[in-house]
Amino acid sequence: MVRISRATLVSGAVLCSACYVGIDFVEDDAQADGGSDDSAADSGADGGEEELGPYAEPRLRVLLGRQYVNAVTDLLGPAAGEAVDPRTDVALNGFVAVGAAQLALSDDDIDRFESSARAAAAAARAADTLGDFYSCEPADLADANCMTEFVADFGYLAWRRPLDDAELARWVAVGVEAAVDLGDFETGLEFVVAGMLQSPYFVYQVERGEPVADLGAAGVERRALQPHELATRMAFFLTDSTPSRELLAAAEAGELDDEAGVRAWALALMDHPRSQAALEGYFAELLHIDHLEAVAKDGGTYPGWSPALAESMRGETLALVSEVIWEEGRDFRDILDADYTFVDEALADHYGVAYPGPAGFQRVALPEGQKRGGILGHAGLMSSLSHVDSTSPTIRGKFVQERLLCFTIPPPPPGVVTDLPSTEEAKTMRERLALHQQEPECAGCHSIMDPPGLGLENFDGVGRYRELDNGEPIDALSDLDGDPFEGSGQLGAVIRERPRFTYCSVANLYRHATGHIESGGEVDSLLTVDDAFSAEGHAFRALLVELVASDAFRLVGELQ
Amino acid sequence: MTAKAPIIRSKPLSRRTLLRGAVNGVAVGLALPVLDIMLDEHGEALANGTPLPRRLVTWMFGNGVALNVEGEVNSGLRFWPSSTGVGYEVTPQLAPLFEAGVLDYCSLCSGFDVGAAAEHRRGHHDGCTVFSGYPFIELPAGGSNYSSKSGGPTIDQVAAAAIGGETFLPSIQLQVSKRIVKGEGPTLQYLSHKGPDQPLPQIADPQEAWDKLFGGFTPSDDPTKPHRLAALDAVREDALALRMRVGSEDRHRLDAHLESVAQIRTQINAIAPQCMTPPLPGETNTDIDGVEPLIAVNQVMSDLLALAFTCDITRVASVQFSGSVGGTVFSDLELSAGHHAMSHESARNEDIDATTIYAMARFAEWLVALRDIPEGAGNILDNSCLLLSSDCASGLAHSTFDLPLIVAGGGGGALAYPGIHYRSPSAQNTSDVLLSCLQTVCPEATEVGGTLGYSNTPLSAILA
Repeated sequence: MVRISRATLVSGAVLCSACYVGIDFVEDDAQADGGSDDSAADSGADGGEEELGPYAEPRLRVLLGRQYVNAVTDLLGPAAGEAVDPRTDVALNGFVAVGAAQLALSDDDIDRFESSARAAAAAARAADTLGDFYSCEPADLADANCMTEFVADFGYLAWRRPLDDAELARWVAVGVEAAVDLGDFETGLEFVVAGMLQSPYFVYQVERGEPVADLGAAGVERRALQPHELATRMAFFLTDSTPSRELLAAAEAGELDDEAGVRAWALALMDHPRSQAALEGYFAELLHIDHLEAVAKDGGTYPGWSPALAESMRGETLALVSEVIWEEGRDFRDILDADYTFVDEALADHYGVAYPGPAGFQRVALPEGQKRGGILGHAGLMSSLSHVDSTSPTIRGKFVQERLLCFTIPPPPPGVVTDLPSTEEAKTMRERLALHQQEPECAGCHSIMDPPGLGLENFDGVGRYRELDNGEPIDALSDLDGDPFEGSGQLGAVIRERPRFTYCSVANLYRHATGHIESGGEVDSLLTVDDAFSAEGHAFRALLVELVASDAFRLVGELQ
Repeated sequence: MTAKAPIIRSKPLSRRTLLRGAVNGVAVGLALPVLDIMLDEHGEALANGTPLPRRLVTWMFGNGVALNVEGEVNSGLRFWPSSTGVGYEVTPQLAPLFEAGVLDYCSLCSGFDVGAAAEHRRGHHDGCTVFSGYPFIELPAGGSNYSSKSGGPTIDQVAAAAIGGETFLPSIQLQVSKRIVKGEGPTLQYLSHKGPDQPLPQIADPQEAWDKLFGGFTPSDDPTKPHRLAALDAVREDALALRMRVGSEDRHRLDAHLESVAQIRTQINAIAPQCMTPPLPGETNTDIDGVEPLIAVNQVMSDLLALAFTCDITRVASVQFSGSVGGTVFSDLELSAGHHAMSHESARNEDIDATTIYAMARFAEWLVALRDIPEGAGNILDNSCLLLSSDCASGLAHSTFDLPLIVAGGGGGALAYPGIHYRSPSAQNTSDVLLSCLQTVCPEATEVGGTLGYSNTPLSAILA
């Protein structure tokens, strides 16, 4: 088995005709990995052993929109969840989780949090869910003891930790003053809820960690997440929601203090009703199908396109991904070359396959002779990785190299005329891109980006099968860095053998889980996760457990 | 503090403003109440001597404009007239402004370059720095997607920081086309940035814009008001305590959080302006059979902003008509490709030309909306400065030299009227133009931008 033995950080290094930039792997065997085996470019490495670098410092991470809604729902009930209006997630480096850890909130965000919190509190009161947090009978409107019971319990769950005395006093005062002034104890509770949901302790995941005695083999300064912090990180990662009372109690009882306990709780959280949706949220973003219904298509070129069809397309891909993730013992890489898919009636029509019925998504064999297979033949990916009225082999290939294999593609050099020519001789997209590649300044990157996309040219801008492009026959025989393929099934089969795909799957998941691009020191831990993932037959559930149990997940760096 | 009293007008709105608001069957631009005039005898200031408010708007369309000669990136832009000074000729791309009767309000600044763009070169990202004068910040990609964020506040946010406290909202961010890119970070996605870590998402739905501008006032006798404020004060205490326990980057974020808490507190406390609220518009910027209602949204948004200016609800706005690398489809022009993709096909120069003319027609509507509301002896446009630009000159080569640059409006008497065409002989920094615009609303401002984009030399040629 080819496996990645170590990663060498060559950030900023320029490889392969000024194209590959990013983390480069040196693999155990001599197999060339995408032309990136140019060790001369490893300027940072001395004899293959370089400084690991620190772990990333913990950052405040604002809850993603869906996490915010879920947390309100799980705290106060579905009516409260429906009453809130989440802020807009903004992605950095391709992940909204990274944006959530770096960007500051705006007036509009704070405004939204204020009005949403009030609406949630009112809805909770109407639905009678505030009683979950206290059992005392208020002696009078100013009963501070009873208010304290409520603040302590609601605060514990909403902020995912016990409150200190100053915090208790602060919020009890808010509740009592409102209760007295407005003449109703429950109104006081409502203002406590509305206020505490606006607190930074609710809207951010707050992580500080605590010093650890064991510095690890590398001797790098690291801090362990505190039990409540780890419980919170695990719950938001695996269920997109706030930790349950049981998980918080378990954390307090020390159940997350060792790896075995973390694994046990990770497994338990994976059985949570929200865990499938949480991973679907991640994969929808990773595979560029999260905003599919907002994608513009030209009605003349693609008359069948509609937001509803786009939703079906997303449903197809998430159905396949979910099946592969949750089916016992399945190899995650099957998403790349599965010879079947899931269609609803609209999508069956779109693909021209018989819909077996009776309703919803049903498993069907892929049509013969279309070179389909795996997610790269799915209509959703093919639509989002296309232009409005044409395909884009470049965008599709860039996705393969960047999103599936974790290579960063640099931009066109400054001042270059970025013309996609169209002539009598060059009619198909392949011919037009070949003309573009005649420019030496363009060829470096396009020779890396275009070929994986050119092999998918039989799938048009909305993922339907076609044999002609602009009236000319399509030649979809192509290669991924030298490995020949034709169509998505074969491309998937090539990618699945790349150790780099496996590692990139680990790295992307980690970026989403922690809100940052892995630092040098963390890469070593991720490689260990990668090894375990491979050893477990690439079962995604094993990856989830291994990642959560890893140093990279449980430890953080020093505050800067 | 409370929001400042609105400008009170004595003249009715023009017939056009009253009528044109009827978009999608629901009126937008209905008349404001005509209250006692409080202007001085010249109509140039309030009777108490306070000058009339001045406003600043940045207005962007993405992906640059057409070339003089198809495919020839050194042939210059079709955007510019050949003559300079006052009375420059009306080119086809400027014709919509002329036909709307607002070209006299426009000064053209050709031959400039975006100083801030020179620090790192990356197509579109570098050109977007025209609105801030700060080089963008590249995020280390480390094997992930490329992303960048703004290097500093855009000029509208510099103005909002200086004068935003005078009004209910410090600023508002509006958007017309929804086809913006989300994959390369906030520099491309958003026009306004309060700072590197504070991109300001813009509002694309006119109903939401209405709600933001006119729907957010809390009645002064609302019994819940003191308790909402008390909750915000407790939130503030929480944030201050947390601030002591985080790293330096997060301290900055919590400072921003605290500032916004203070702002929302102010807004809850604000007294509603003595302006009649226009009815909720019917337009929601929802695609119809996959087609964006660009013209309708542009009209409603411009009307809403004009009314918000009239009521002095805000004095600062940014308008992203179409995004950098945006895939706007100009269906009204019977074009079917995304704008950015088209800009990379030299054979589609004529189509790009048509989209620029279309964008100028939309820009003209904002100028007309402001011009058609009288204020003092003139109109709102007389007391406004609008800065129009794009993220590149021609999309084909991502060049930033000579990109479209228009300064429109009277600037409260600060800007030349009629406007001129000034052609820089020395590829001056676009930040000079930014500073001139900024000074129309903040006369005390002496500098703008940073490092290669820095300027302390306003462009005097476009001043009155």
